Parts: sequence; structure tokens; C-alpha cells
Amino acid sequence: MTGTLRLLLAVALNSFLESVRSRFFTMFAVFAFTAVYASVLAGVMAVDQEARLLTDFGLLLTELTALAYLLFGASTALLKEAETKTIYLVFSRPVPRWAYLAGKICGSLLTAALMLAAMAVIHLSVLAFRGFGLPPGYAWVLAGTFLKLAVIVSFAYFVSLFSTSAVSTLVISSIMWTLGHFASEARFLAEKAEGFKGALLGFFLHLIPNLQLFNARDAAGAAGALPASVLLPAAGWTLASYLGGLWLLSRKEF
Amino acid sequence: MKHVVSFSGVEKTYKRPGLLGAQYHTAVKDLTFEIPAGEVTGLLGLNGAGKTTIMKLITGLLFPNAGKVRVFGHNPADAAAKARVGFLPELPYFPPQVRPEEALAYYGRLSGLSGAPLAEAVRISMSRTGLEPHAGKRVSEFSKGMLQRLGLGQALLHGPDLLVLDEPVSGLDPLAIHDIRALLAGLNAEGRAIFLSSHSISEVEKLCSRVLIMVRGALARTVKRAEWEASPAGLEGIFVEAVK
Amino acid sequence: MKGRAAILAGALLCWAAASYSAASYRSPFPAPSELRAPAGGAGGDMLALALGARRVFADLWFVRLMQYYGTREVKEVSQAPGHEGHVHGVDEHGHHHCDHGKDYGKGSYPLFLPMARHILDMDPQFTAAGLYGAACLAFNMERGEEAEELLRHGLRYSPKEWKYLSVLAAVGYSKAENPAAVAETIAPLLKEPDCPVMLKQLAAFLNKKAGNYAAAAAIYADIAATSRDEFYVKNARRELEKFSGGGYTGGQ
Repeated sequence: MTGTLRLLLAVALNSFLESVRSRFFTMFAVFAFTAVYASVLAGVMAVDQEARLLTDFGLLLTELTALAYLLFGASTALLKEAETKTIYLVFSRPVPRWAYLAGKICGSLLTAALMLAAMAVIHLSVLAFRGFGLPPGYAWVLAGTFLKLAVIVSFAYFVSLFSTSAVSTLVISSIMWTLGHFASEARFLAEKAEGFKGALLGFFLHLIPNLQLFNARDAAGAAGALPASVLLPAAGWTLASYLGGLWLLSRKEF
Repeated sequence: MKHVVSFSGVEKTYKRPGLLGAQYHTAVKDLTFEIPAGEVTGLLGLNGAGKTTIMKLITGLLFPNAGKVRVFGHNPADAAAKARVGFLPELPYFPPQVRPEEALAYYGRLSGLSGAPLAEAVRISMSRTGLEPHAGKRVSEFSKGMLQRLGLGQALLHGPDLLVLDEPVSGLDPLAIHDIRALLAGLNAEGRAIFLSSHSISEVEKLCSRVLIMVRGALARTVKRAEWEASPAGLEGIFVEAVK
Repeated sequence: MKGRAAILAGALLCWAAASYSAASYRSPFPAPSELRAPAGGAGGDMLALALGARRVFADLWFVRLMQYYGTREVKEVSQAPGHEGHVHGVDEHGHHHCDHGKDYGKGSYPLFLPMARHILDMDPQFTAAGLYGAACLAFNMERGEEAEELLRHGLRYSPKEWKYLSVLAAVGYSKAENPAAVAETIAPLLKEPDCPVMLKQLAAFLNKKAGNYAAAAAIYADIAATSRDEFYVKNARRELEKFSGGGYTGGQ
């Protein structure tokens, strides 16, 4: 293994361990556990559609919990390291900035994978407790959620490198996540609009990642596999945010 | 190499964005000096004189707006320069839940160490900084002196030829100061150059062979040991004279 | 400097490539202009879109629909001696109910169709909700036109959904007062996982009325085994006890 790759892995592992050791991780775990079990109440109200409602609620809560925790982490990671001067100990060493940023993002994605896996276990245990089996396409839904998180978390790291506070990073990233779900609807409106308005709306649409692509949770029938073609936009948006962040980090002073 | 660090005509200006336009503050201006190899060089100055700015320019955390900085003949941002420099910032921070060996292992990996050499480097660092008796504790249980030792420990991991120490004895009790001073003297005896800043003139007098005095971003005086030892007022008198 | 410029160019290129590759994606859901705002306002719909959670909100609308309508229409046998001249009950929502007799579940539920339609607006693939809504409208509330409107609304987004076509045909037969044809038309639906229990209940009732007791018993057994609605399950068990206790002498 090359030295630089080892550096990247060291940063990723450190970032991951800091994430899961954080007391907020425990809080989110408790929240996820409670919320998924609370959805049992909603499921009972749906009577014969209980399986569907339990599945849908559980998957939504899983995604929102992971999103909240990861965005919080991404918004504060670099800022915290700068404030505590930990970053001095990193960049006074021969650590390439590209490896550092890649390591941070990889650490967050490792955390995302762990959170999704843990919450899936909780969710499936609730479904089993209520007598329901594995919902169709479950793994694809989790895969889609993971891709969505990858796109938005790397975007959050990019924003954190130019925003003035963790709160503004969190807000901007959350807005982007929301806009990402409206992208398909906005595209429809852009195609209907004529002239300059349509062109302008179409241009702005290209600035927003279409997160509906990865939304297997909501897909038609919610049992469809994610087509392999979604990997390209996921990789593209994630890499673009990473490179944008690197562009900012490369001449950032501490 | 005669000099480990050289500054020539260096200027560093900070830009602070504001609502009504950016504000500029020149931290150091037209700065020229060298740090000799194998010596302990001190940096004295009032708050805001530019001491930390100089340290960050040496360690590649800041980039000069004008002039040239060379560390072992390289640009400070180059890996070749950073590999030979160990930096201790003022009041270093470590995650509270980790143990000292874990923290040192992480920074050792970032310095390019791995496997057996990493384990050995961590062991030596722990031993030299007197942290071995506290290996089982978490950082949250450390006193200020122990944190400072840990900070020094991470700076020593990769066997640097130059140690850049920003206020290494700040806030420490006399016993801790004594221990740190002894440690630094030992490191210098091994041939390492040490560049340290401090508010404590007495500490600088005990450790350093020469001192740079900064006044409002400019190098006011360079004083050698022989000069302040010969002066009736000592280094303190020379310093006060320079900053007035 | 050149390196930085290359990094920035790379970032823009990657984003453009991603946007271009995603440009051909078309949402399977109805366009926003086709979403009719429900009585309570469009806030819930906006939240559904913002969170990418149309299915969850469709589920919530379904629960609301069920709460709005309730399940008190299940009793097939009147507890009162005859029901001519009875007074319809009024529940806490101000809805009139007929809890027994042939007019059970009729009531007046003016928001039923808009609510049911809204579920399909949010998630056109929620076939069970569409079937439930149409069955309630057609066979409980005897509002065949509204049932047909709901089914045609569902067919707009799922034109190949044979279950909607089956129930549409059954509604037609019901309007023509041909219960045997209704039972025959909805028979293929009964084993489907998204078949609403009240359709199964209807099929069992129609089979029982026509004297097909074996078929009726099989359907009641299926309801008892698979449904989680305690009212339907209790009724099914009651009917099965009657079957096993000496058979039926006639429908009621």
C-alpha cells in the first residue's frame, strides 16, 4: 500500500472512530430505536396496510436520522479541527490536502454505512416482531439512501470550507437536500416554461443534484432495483463536491 | 546546512472580510532572519507582534504575501520540509476519549510511520515525555502539563531536525516547566534545532543561544547569549528597550 | 496555480457530467400541477415532496381516510329487531352511520372521494388504497359514479392495472344489480396481496347470498387468517362458526 493511501486510510479511520465515539451517536441511536418502535403504533392504525406503513416509516426515519447526524458531523468536522488547532498538527505534517479531505469524506461514508446497517437491523427486527418478512427491494432502498447521503455529505464538506459557521453549512446542505427531491418536479416546470424563464430554470436545475434518482424508497412500487446507471451521477456529484472542496482547501490558511 | 530556516523580505497580511469591505492587517513586514542548525533560537514579543504568524509560516500553515521562506532549503509547504519539522502549537488539543498512545499512533501514521517503526516511535515518545506512567489514562484525565507533554510527544514522533514550539511552557507549574526545559535541552544536545516562542523571558534566557525580538510585525533586535549575559539589565532590559 | 485551476475544472466537469447523465430521468409520479390541494391545505404535500417521502404521506392519507370512514359497517346482521324506522347514529365527526342492515356503512362522507383520490396523487402505485376507496364508494356507500371516477383516476397513472379494470367492471355489474357477475368479476382479485379486506368481505357475502357456501367459507377463512382488522376477523369467525354449526339456511 502506498504511503499516501495509508495516510488517507488513517484520516478516514480516525474520522470514523471520532464519529461513533461521539455522544451524539448514542443519542441518535436511541432516537432511531425509539422512533422505529413508535411507528408500530402508526402501523396498527393502518390495519391491513401495516406492513407497508411500517416499512415506509422505518425507512424514512432511518434516512432522516442518518442524514441529520452526518450533516451535523460534516458541518462541524473541519471547523472544529480548525478551532481546536488539531488541524495544525495535521497540516504541519507532510499530509497532502487531497488525502486529508478524501479521508474525512470516506470516514463519514463509513459512518453512514454503519448507521444504515444498524438501523436496518432495528427496523427489520420490528417488522419481524410484527410478523412481517423482508420487504421487497429493501437492500436497493438502503443502497439508494447511501448514495443520496454520499452526494449530500460531500456537498456539506464543500460548503463547510467557505461558510462562516457550522449552522450555515447545515442550513445550506439541508436546503440542497430538499431541492434535490424537487428536482424532477422543477424539471417538469422548466420544460413547460417558455423562453428566458424556461432557460434560466433549466440552467439552475443543473446546479442541483437530482436526489430522486436514488430515491428507491419512493420509487414506483418501491421494489424496483436501482439501475446501475445511477452510479455515474452519484459518483459525479460526490467527486465534484470533493474537488470543489479540494480547490478551496488547497490554498486555505490556518 | 548552516541554516534550517531563512526568511527574506517576508510579508504576511491577513484579510478579514467585512460587511463594508475587507479589512487588512499586516502581521509581519519585510522580515529577514535565519535560524541556525543545531541551536535553540527564541522568539520574544508582545501579544500581536507576529510570533505565531512566523511559526505558521515556517510550518506551511500560512503562505507569505511577499518574500521567501525556506525550510531546509525547501518551500515550507513541501513534503520534504514538513517531514523534518515537528510543531507544537499553543495549547494543543486532543480528543478527550482517546489514550495517549492512540493519539500518538494517529499522528505517527500521518507522519508516514506504520507497523513496527510506528510502535517504536510511540514508545520512545511516551518515554521521553514522561507519559509512560499515564498510558492507561484518557486525555480527559490529563493535567495541563501532561497535555503539553503529549503535544511535545507528537512533535517528536518522526525524529524531526527542527522543533517549532509555540509557548511550550505556557500555563505550566514550575516542576513541569523544569521537566520540559530538561527535555528540550536533551533534544538540542542531540543536534536538533529548536525554535520557540515564549512570554517568559527567564525561560528563554535559560534555554536559548539567541533571541529574536519582534515589535509590531518587524524584527526589532537579534540578541545573542553573550550580549544579554554581558548586559547589566539582562535580556529583560534589552527586550523592554526594544519594545518601547 | 495551474494545479488549482485543473482541480476547479475537474469539479465543474464532474458536476456537468453527473447532471447530463441524470437529465434523462423522468419522475414516475404525477406532475405537481396535477396534485389537487386537499381540504387541509398543501403543506403536507410540500413536506412529502421535500422529504422525498410520497409513499409515507400516501400511507398517512390512507390512515386518515380509514379513520374518516371507520370500520363500523362490518356487521351484516342487525342487533335490533328489524331496522325500519330506526334512527341513524351520528358519530363524533358528525357523520351519519347506519351500523346495521342492508344500508350499513352508507352514511354521508363528502370528503371520501377527494381523500381517496389524493392518496393516488401522492402514490399512484398504492393500488390497495385505490381498490379500498372504490369498493367502499361502490358497494358500501352506493356511489358508483364516484367509485368509477376514482378507478379511472388510478388508471391514468397505472393504465395496465388489471385490478382497477376488474373493480370497474364489478361496479358496472353492481349498478346493473347483477350480484353474481360482481362476485365473478372480483374473484381473481381475492388472492392478491393488495386486495382490500372489505372486497373479500363483499365477495363472501355475495357468494353466501347466491348459495355458494363453500366458496364463501373459503373466503371467510382467508379473511380470518390474513386480515389484521379485528372487526372483519371477528365477523369472519362468526360466519365460519355458523357454517360449521349446521350450515346456512339462507342469506341475511
